[in-house]
Amino acid sequence: MRWIRATRRGPRRGDGAMRASLAPALLLAVAALGCHTSLSPPIPAEHGDDAPPRRGGTLRLATFKDIRGLDPAGPTEGVANQAIHAIFAGLVDFDDRGRVVPDLADRWEIAEGGRVYRFTLHEGVRMHDGEELTADDVKRSVERALHKTTPDPSASYFEGIAGYAAYAEGTAEHLDGVVVEGRYVVTFRLEEPDATFLSVLAGPTLRPVCRSAGDRYVDTWQPCGAGPFKLAPGGWRRGASLRLVRHDGYFRAGLPYLDAVEWTYNMQQLTQRFRFEAGELDFLHEISQADQTRFAGDPRWRPFGSTDADTTLYGESMNTTMPPFDNVEVRRAVAAAIDREHYRLLKPAYVTPLDQPIPPGIPGYASDDVRCRRGQRYDYAAALEHMRKAGFPYDPATGRGGWPYPIDYVVYDQGLLIYTAQLLQQELAKIGLRIELRLVSWQTFLTLQHRRGGAAMSPGNWAMDYPDPSSFFEPLFTTRAIGPESTDNTAFYSNPRFDDLVARARGELDETQREALYREAGAILCDEAPWAFTFSYHFVSERQPYVRGPLQHPVWYVDPTRTWIDRSDRLAEPPAGSESP
Amino acid sequence: MRRLAWRLAWSVGVVWAVVSIAFAVNVLLPGDPAQMVAGPQARPADVARIREQLGLDRPPAVQYVRFWTRLVHVGPSVADPAHASCAIVLPLPVRRSALHLDFGKSFQMRQPVVDVIATRMPRTLLLAVAGVVLQLLLGVSTGVLAALRRGTWVDRLTVSVSLLGISAPTFLIALLLQVILARELRWLPLDGYGATVGDHVRCLVLPALTLGFYGAAYYTRLVRDEMRVLLDADWVRTARAKGLAPGRVATRHALRNALVPLVTAVGLDFGALMGGAIVTETVFRWPGLGELSVKAMLDRDGPVIMACVIVTSIAIVATNVVVDLVYGLLDPRVRDARGGGTR
Repeated sequence: MRWIRATRRGPRRGDGAMRASLAPALLLAVAALGCHTSLSPPIPAEHGDDAPPRRGGTLRLATFKDIRGLDPAGPTEGVANQAIHAIFAGLVDFDDRGRVVPDLADRWEIAEGGRVYRFTLHEGVRMHDGEELTADDVKRSVERALHKTTPDPSASYFEGIAGYAAYAEGTAEHLDGVVVEGRYVVTFRLEEPDATFLSVLAGPTLRPVCRSAGDRYVDTWQPCGAGPFKLAPGGWRRGASLRLVRHDGYFRAGLPYLDAVEWTYNMQQLTQRFRFEAGELDFLHEISQADQTRFAGDPRWRPFGSTDADTTLYGESMNTTMPPFDNVEVRRAVAAAIDREHYRLLKPAYVTPLDQPIPPGIPGYASDDVRCRRGQRYDYAAALEHMRKAGFPYDPATGRGGWPYPIDYVVYDQGLLIYTAQLLQQELAKIGLRIELRLVSWQTFLTLQHRRGGAAMSPGNWAMDYPDPSSFFEPLFTTRAIGPESTDNTAFYSNPRFDDLVARARGELDETQREALYREAGAILCDEAPWAFTFSYHFVSERQPYVRGPLQHPVWYVDPTRTWIDRSDRLAEPPAGSESP
Repeated sequence: MRRLAWRLAWSVGVVWAVVSIAFAVNVLLPGDPAQMVAGPQARPADVARIREQLGLDRPPAVQYVRFWTRLVHVGPSVADPAHASCAIVLPLPVRRSALHLDFGKSFQMRQPVVDVIATRMPRTLLLAVAGVVLQLLLGVSTGVLAALRRGTWVDRLTVSVSLLGISAPTFLIALLLQVILARELRWLPLDGYGATVGDHVRCLVLPALTLGFYGAAYYTRLVRDEMRVLLDADWVRTARAKGLAPGRVATRHALRNALVPLVTAVGLDFGALMGGAIVTETVFRWPGLGELSVKAMLDRDGPVIMACVIVTSIAIVATNVVVDLVYGLLDPRVRDARGGGTR
């Protein structure tokens, strides 16, 4: 509560002028000390690039976020999912290009036109408790995750499994759609054909858990799965750190290489950089723009920098039920008036300009789709023409015309979005749309944006739930996504033709035809512009040279299963529970 | 004694009022706690199920009554799964029963809030005590020195440094100390709490110094200004004329009287620090109540918010009661006035 104190004392001192002159001096001092222009040199690997992987060592990671839980069926978020993925193997997983590949299941077959998915488990898989994984464990884990008492925020993603409704309501004891057909064979029966089922299944929610988890979710359960790493005794210190150690019985022989992986939570960005330079962190994922410039400008570090896949979608969401955005020509004018390059320049290393509803890191992104280029690319003359067609012609020379009323733009206090909001304000002023920024808290923002009539215009952003166009199209733009109280379709966009295309794509198992359907659906979005699609955001990373093998992952951000440490002084393990200074 | 009892009853009323207002604000604020648990991208059906699981689908009045009836209640004196989120605070003479304290379960962490508070509060208390002790040691000593060396370079230097301390925001002092003592000189850990007692002590130094420097600057000026006035007072001149040693005059006659406003400031500061030094805890990753309460507020984690409000309001009320008592010890006039007599 120091800020309260500062406010209370401020007026009593009457030395504001001197105070004002001293604070910048101190700031300069910190800048001089903390923001060295020169970085410490990278710590070299012990062996050459062609050296084989070595076992041992601990990979140390950090984040400014915290995790809430490690149960795949409980409330989790991106940071926790990194650890959950390491602890719990799934029937299927995503490879390093985001494609679904076998994991605990050796193979699967799809029958009855996409209504039946039959998985054959890898035999002899040992869970962390030493028990063998069987089809019964899979069914038990699924029923545990989807039970009505489980606080699973993703349960409805599995509503297509036969019998889900009755099970979720509690009128059925078991989930009929999950059938054990032998010790190592389990079948999922779906109500309708679903081409996204494998992608959804590869997520964390239904990953098999040890028998100690029981049939029902409890908060006190100690995470236990079949993944390459297991929770060390006392390894999770809430709000501070997490330590996972190698699961020696992991079913992929020889993996993982690392003895342990440690995450430190709630660590400030600047502290992360200090620790990374000192070799106390091995991988830096949350880099400030200033530090990114520094790393990118240092030839010693340049080879060790990398960029995450673009899997997030940003845009300007326009409420199609509120004026003036109930007029499609106004929306088209907005989509054509925004110069995406200006957005990129705000944070060049992190922002990829976007002219369509699929980010570049998602299958289905079409860099050559000319249908979107027309509507979602900067074209000032076209924007003015759309305003004229809308009935609100605007004359840039005189500044006369346009929409006569100010438009509320609801935004929350997040660095980049505050800047893009101001850019948008300037861009739209040039076509006669006056934007008034309304800055609210994140919670208020969510409430307003998700409620009908809550916000005429607001920044839209969406991170993929799984790498597939349906992860963007269905929640953001289908009529079905609009609920009576709340919705993720913040534009309240409704188009039966679009809905039909997306529904058909979900049931279409042929990849080529499915892609064609999504392209057609995407073209409708580009033309009718419920959003003006603006950019995709990605993180940039640095790793120490001694961190070898694959580490970054398009879905899990990091996957240390095949990573190894090539640094001689790091093969000796510190005592359990210790925290590096 | 009667006055103390009345004061305690008044304090309970204040805490009740503060907690009730906090409850109302928490309910009225926009933002759906169930959405915050499920995540911004969760589907409405999943959010609705979680809302029901958390009991947030009930009317606010029902939630309010449930909160108070659950907060302090009588339960079994031994561990019971039905009372998993309770702390047993007082065994009762009635057979196998005890007074329970129950803040509920955190929406986000899904842990009993009493456990969370029990873990975090000692850390905040440690930081608050260390910070206040440093503030007093630095502030009082430099304030007295400046007052005694009035008009000299010592006085001017003290005033300048204290002004610098007051001018700098806490985060700036924190970063400066972190960069110099941890990054450059490597004497101390950059941040964290550590796993052993030795680690805790080492990790405590930087956040305590941050609070110490910031608060000491104010105390320096307070003590200096008070002492300057008091050293010119008639009774101090009389004490000097009677031949008392200068040190004795300064400590017994001037400093003791200067402590009265200082005690007020320390009391308020300590109470506020018990609510958590938010910036300091965040920069140094010190896992105390400040960081917890900010996160709870951002996540609309109602049970944690209410627990933090209760702990903070009790701490502030309690320190005010203690400050009142200390006034009596420092100033006989206050004591006499409370006793009903005048001099």
